[in-house]
Amino acid sequence: MKPKVAFFSFTSCEGCQLMFLNLEDELLDLLGLVEIVNFREAMKEVLADEYDIAFVEGSITTHSDIEEVEDIRKRTKILIAFGACATIGGINAIKNFQPLDDVRKYVYDRDWDKIDTVPTMSVDQVVDVDCYIHGCPVDKKEILDVVTSVILGKTPRVPDYPVCVECKLAENVCVFDKGLVCLGPVTRAGCSAICPTFGNKCLGCRGIISDPNVNAEKDLLAERGLSIDDILKEFRMFDGLSEVSK
Amino acid sequence: MLPKIIERDDLRAFVEALLADNVVVAPIRKGEKYVFSEVETFDEIALDYNISLLSPKKFFYPQIETVLKFKIGDRPESQAITEASPVIIFGIHPCDIAATWLLDEVFKEDPADPNYLEKRKKAVLIGLNCAQPCDEFSFCRDMGSYNVEEGFDLMLTDLGEKYFVEIGSKLGEEILVEGAHFRDATSGDLKDRQAYQEKKETNFVKRIPYDTKFLPEILEESYDSLVWDAIAKRCFSCGSCNIVCPTCYCFNVTDEVAASAAEGERKRVWDSCQLAEFTEVAGGEVFREERSSRLRHRFFRKGKWLLERYGKLGCVGCGRCDRNCLVKINSVEVYTQLAGEPVQ
Ligand code: SF4
Ligand code: SF4
Ligand code: SF4
Ligand code: SF4
Ligand code: SF4
Repeated sequence: MKPKVAFFSFTSCEGCQLMFLNLEDELLDLLGLVEIVNFREAMKEVLADEYDIAFVEGSITTHSDIEEVEDIRKRTKILIAFGACATIGGINAIKNFQPLDDVRKYVYDRDWDKIDTVPTMSVDQVVDVDCYIHGCPVDKKEILDVVTSVILGKTPRVPDYPVCVECKLAENVCVFDKGLVCLGPVTRAGCSAICPTFGNKCLGCRGIISDPNVNAEKDLLAERGLSIDDILKEFRMFDGLSEVSK
Repeated sequence: MLPKIIERDDLRAFVEALLADNVVVAPIRKGEKYVFSEVETFDEIALDYNISLLSPKKFFYPQIETVLKFKIGDRPESQAITEASPVIIFGIHPCDIAATWLLDEVFKEDPADPNYLEKRKKAVLIGLNCAQPCDEFSFCRDMGSYNVEEGFDLMLTDLGEKYFVEIGSKLGEEILVEGAHFRDATSGDLKDRQAYQEKKETNFVKRIPYDTKFLPEILEESYDSLVWDAIAKRCFSCGSCNIVCPTCYCFNVTDEVAASAAEGERKRVWDSCQLAEFTEVAGGEVFREERSSRLRHRFFRKGKWLLERYGKLGCVGCGRCDRNCLVKINSVEVYTQLAGEPVQ
């Protein structure tokens, strides 16, 4: 029996699900390995309500999100946090630094008080997560690694070292040398340093590594002329839930 | 083999002759920096480059390399992959030639590494001498790699209107013929080369306040030094210092399984001893958990252990580690501090 796979989406742009569907060359092979039973973005039917693997995309931002993700947890063997919104809160956590009522008024205008909201949470702040696929959006290679690892019973590889490693492997000119600042020295690798490779700074979308030298990063940014506020803004873009943003 | 001379204006014709029949890699511009990359024309080559981001070791030992292809399932199979194609490396500087010598020693040691050695065998090294240090980070004089007498097939020294050409191997002699613009060096040319050398000796200054032959002893004495803790406070453990180093040779091995879950490739990827993962073993134990112990490890490798094992320092003083360290951890300063000397 092929493992049953389901996709769920909470507060997000659903770009990560799209990344899955964009695995054009590999999708047929993958569908040979797993049976997709619930995937709103790709199909109408719901074929089962018990799953072997649930991909959960998006942050948890309402009371009903909390109930729903708890329910998914009960119905799946493996729960994968899928994409930055789910793994680290991502962009959605920006709202946590403003009064929630202001946020609701700003977004929903007239009917703001009828719309529920809670501070943004990553999925693992609500339920146990078995596996993380980081990034905004996720990297195709990592989707493949996770799915095949689950099928073969191995542990997927999730790097826990800075983006600089991959940036140097790519022989990039460091963006600090171009007058930009970069969160690469404290951000989790795994994206092949795609942003610096294309001349941009790393925004930290894959989350902070488990042993970051935050003081060194803050000093470095301050040395490049950033104020404390600016430095926090850098971190809060994606990593608002992390200690570094406090 | 007696040295030759090629006139400045003939260098282009020589390189073009090489380009006609060979894959030639040479330093080219990348933004404000330089990288070694395949070139198609002579004009792309930055003859006056100071230092490349990565050293040309990437041509013998690529950052990421497939070493095995495998099938899984009922009838598992595997096949080792060794790919090597001929390449001419044009413009390699003395420190990188010295680093190649060390890598050769490492990779030919039993069990020999066919992936490296096959590629290395097919590579021709055409060196380009340095008249002055790359920048304030170079300490190749201290490490004795600013001049090299061997390890190249040809070595070009820019004497203004002409290049002095030392021939380091049979292969080097053979490729001279491709351009056929070479003449024997005369005693006048030798004198010019001598004058270049005298000037060079004054351009390259020592930066470490003691002879580097004492490094093993100084490091030995410094195992518990507070210097390691002090510099570790600002270290990111970002691994940049290792990845850019021409003498680092550690790699990690990972399996990439195809979407069919029926086949895949085993890859080796350059690794870094500054990462906690580097010493992680099954069960999750990490042997060098402290940043300071990882930093110390790197300096011990460069200044002591490789010397004891291979007879040459594990560092050629190219300065890439220091140049690329965002928090300015600097080898010369570290070696100076360890000896209790004031840092300039
Ligand atoms: S992580 Fe980024 S791409 Fe993925 S759903 Fe969230 S916002 Fe969209
Ligand atoms: S560009 Fe960013 S990721 Fe790359 S080396 Fe520099 S700091 Fe590190
Ligand atoms: S370089 Fe940084 S911002 Fe860009 S994809 Fe990688 S982790 Fe995300
Ligand atoms: S490059 Fe500098 S900050 Fe990064 S690991 Fe090396 S010494 Fe530490
Ligand atoms: S340790 Fe630093 S200076 Fe020495 S060879 Fe490596 S990169 Fe060059």
